Amino acid sequence: MVQYVNMRIDGSHYKVPKGLSVLDVAIEQGVCIPHLCHVPNLSDIGACRLCIVEHVVNGRSKVTTSCTLRVQEGMIILSNTDKIKRLRKNIAELLVSQAPNSKAIQDIAVRCGVTTVRYPFRNDDCVLCGRCVRICAEQWQAKAIGFVGRGKDRRVDTPFGRKSETCKVCGNCIDLCPMTITPCAGPMKPGEEYLCSKCESQMLEAAGVPDQCIWCELGKGFQCSRHLGGHA
Amino acid sequence: MPEIAFISELSAFRNRIMEKRNELKGTIAICGGTGCQSSSSLKVIAALMEELEAQGLAETVHVRPTGCHGFCEQGPIMVVEPDGIFYCHVGVDDIAEIISETIRKGEAIDRLLYTDPVTGRKIKTESEIPFYVKQKRQLLAQNRRLNPKSIEDYIALGGYSALAQALNGMEAGTILKEVIASGLRGRGGGGFPTGRKWKECQEAPGEEKYVVCNADEGDPGAYMDRCLLEGNPHSVLEGMMLGAIAVGAQHGYVYVRNEYPLAVEHAKKAVEQAREAGLLGEAILGSSFNFDIDVARGGGAFVCGESTALMASLEGRVGEPRPKDVHTVVEGLWNKPTVLNNVETWANIPAIILKGSDWYSAQGSNGSKGTKILALTGQVKNTGLVEVEMGTPIKTVVFDIGGGSATGKPIKAVQTGGPSGGCLPTYKFDLPVDFDALYDAGSMVGSGGMVVMDEDTCMVDVAKYFLTFLQDESCGKCVPCRLGIDRMLEIVTRISDGGGKPEDIDLMEDLAFTMKETALCGLGKTAANPVLSTLKYFRDEYEAHINGRKCPAGVCQALITYVVDGEKCNGCGRCLRACPHNSIIGEKKKVHRIDAELCKKCGICRSVCEFDAIHTI
Repeated sequence: MVQYVNMRIDGSHYKVPKGLSVLDVAIEQGVCIPHLCHVPNLSDIGACRLCIVEHVVNGRSKVTTSCTLRVQEGMIILSNTDKIKRLRKNIAELLVSQAPNSKAIQDIAVRCGVTTVRYPFRNDDCVLCGRCVRICAEQWQAKAIGFVGRGKDRRVDTPFGRKSETCKVCGNCIDLCPMTITPCAGPMKPGEEYLCSKCESQMLEAAGVPDQCIWCELGKGFQCSRHLGGHA
Repeated sequence: MPEIAFISELSAFRNRIMEKRNELKGTIAICGGTGCQSSSSLKVIAALMEELEAQGLAETVHVRPTGCHGFCEQGPIMVVEPDGIFYCHVGVDDIAEIISETIRKGEAIDRLLYTDPVTGRKIKTESEIPFYVKQKRQLLAQNRRLNPKSIEDYIALGGYSALAQALNGMEAGTILKEVIASGLRGRGGGGFPTGRKWKECQEAPGEEKYVVCNADEGDPGAYMDRCLLEGNPHSVLEGMMLGAIAVGAQHGYVYVRNEYPLAVEHAKKAVEQAREAGLLGEAILGSSFNFDIDVARGGGAFVCGESTALMASLEGRVGEPRPKDVHTVVEGLWNKPTVLNNVETWANIPAIILKGSDWYSAQGSNGSKGTKILALTGQVKNTGLVEVEMGTPIKTVVFDIGGGSATGKPIKAVQTGGPSGGCLPTYKFDLPVDFDALYDAGSMVGSGGMVVMDEDTCMVDVAKYFLTFLQDESCGKCVPCRLGIDRMLEIVTRISDGGGKPEDIDLMEDLAFTMKETALCGLGKTAANPVLSTLKYFRDEYEAHINGRKCPAGVCQALITYVVDGEKCNGCGRCLRACPHNSIIGEKKKVHRIDAELCKKCGICRSVCEFDAIHTI
């Protein structure tokens, strides 16, 4: 028998099955919490930190990622406070300054309210979200790719940099990669990167219903789990 | 080593060792720790053994290679008992004289004694040396009295009596209560109350539980844990055994970095000896307590000192932290309840059980009890390991124990707590070594690193140093830490290169706030501390770099110009000959000058000038 717990997200009450993460609940209930490394049915590692929320315990709030936080009875979650918005915007700014050549990352930046980028742009091909690594290991049991190196040298690679013998050529790693689609205006050359912000109008629509999902085009862009097929 | 099968046999065994020891004429304790080994103490030990053998004294004089004595700068250190004569900088050539004068006649050799730098007086014993006088060496003092490779030495000093006491009718709950009442807080950096951690683990559901010792010490310049594990491994094991009784664990691990070969060796040896003696294994000392320990070697990643990363590494996975929404005391190693404490914390436990929590909590300040070992390094006269009662002011550590500035230039700041800690200026030196007081001041006690800096240190450069370290050591899993440190370093480098913008300070503060709140593990959350604390106390230096394009300490190369002081230069020509870039112009006996266009700011001219005539502006 499924056990249920009562919890609140931004003041609204929800009765949800035990074992889900806060992000699962939010996605199912249409509460908009931006996320990048989360993929339905794969394990959550809390790497991108975009899905942060405030978890209030005994009157004190703690910032934590909603994808790794399991629902509990009486839990109080705040997903859209000024503090969270500020932090989320700063994280999105770090991401977009690192990899502006991705429609998904540009869309996340718009969704998180990034209007200026205060760091010099770089033009990386990978944001190390680990979606590809986890689908390969968990869905296909292949482990054809994995993380190599530490810190700024961390990258996704095949074992010993050679063609992997366990790769099933399923192509799921490419399907899930947020870097495969370039911004609408085409690829940016090194040195010519910019913050796209073309889709800010999407945010105007969303502003009328704060923190509720309106099935925006931005979500499609960054493969929001609602577009990818619901919660886990 | 015979097996000790019952609790009562332990004291009988101890008495037998003591009797044998009493027949000895004298004991020479000589430091064989990593610090003294680097100043050739192993050669001295070998020479000493050889000479004693040659003179027929090998049977009556006991040579004891010990762990670290703390005063590493004076190594190799030798203490001749029973008089406790303290020799420093002992060399192979001194051995013959030590045997003929000190061992045979009991006379001290003046040349090898420590000289008080203030009075110039020769000091004969450790207890009179200023470096040691203001310390309270509860843990470190043991090092001198035992050979870390000998379980007999440890037992002779009363070792394992806390274990015997605990197994002799003391309940797990009583041990727990004692540790809680002692007020002991974790020595690894966080300062979490040890008793509370144990209690949470003890209450966690599950039969299978673990205790783990964190010996993955990685702060630059800090080596407290190394010396304890090297010098007194059995005290750590005994602490872990007591912890295991308290929480109900059956297995323990010592996770020690492979960069500490001696600590690995000694820990392994100690485990072997304890097993042989029946102190590890099944039915320990005839009780129903079963417990064993394994030594696991780590690859030396800084991040593996973080609890969840350490456990991942122990399990054989990549040492990366995981979110801690469920604590490791409930789901730790192999998802079982686990108590993880660092070396120094474990080493404190036996004395707490033996002497009681009242004895322990009587020492220290309000919120921080007991003593703390600090690694005193940097521009201070007496570097080494220092153990002080918690609550001792920083100035006592730096000036009384450390002897003040080593360079003669005024001291500017002290960096406490390693890369996660912060820099405190001299006007904060009244602050006590206390978890809460230092945290409130924007720094932390951390694991006990203390780096003293004089006024030739540039705080922007210090922040840059620590960020570079953290960038190398970040695991790279989460965005705020990986990209945050990277960008922070980019900004600080820009400032020190003279390209800083006024808005950079606000940006750094905003970024630091983001890292602190959102990073996945403790390393990322505290990674901005070196920047935040230097910004807090030395903001004017950042502003001088940004607005004035000047480095007040004369460190950041892009912002300094070397000039010749016309009043001091006598035209000797040394700098002219030494300059590899031919940038110094001048005739003999006339004031020289430096061509700023050609100067590469290497600083060679300043180092060769005997008249202090070259300085930076």
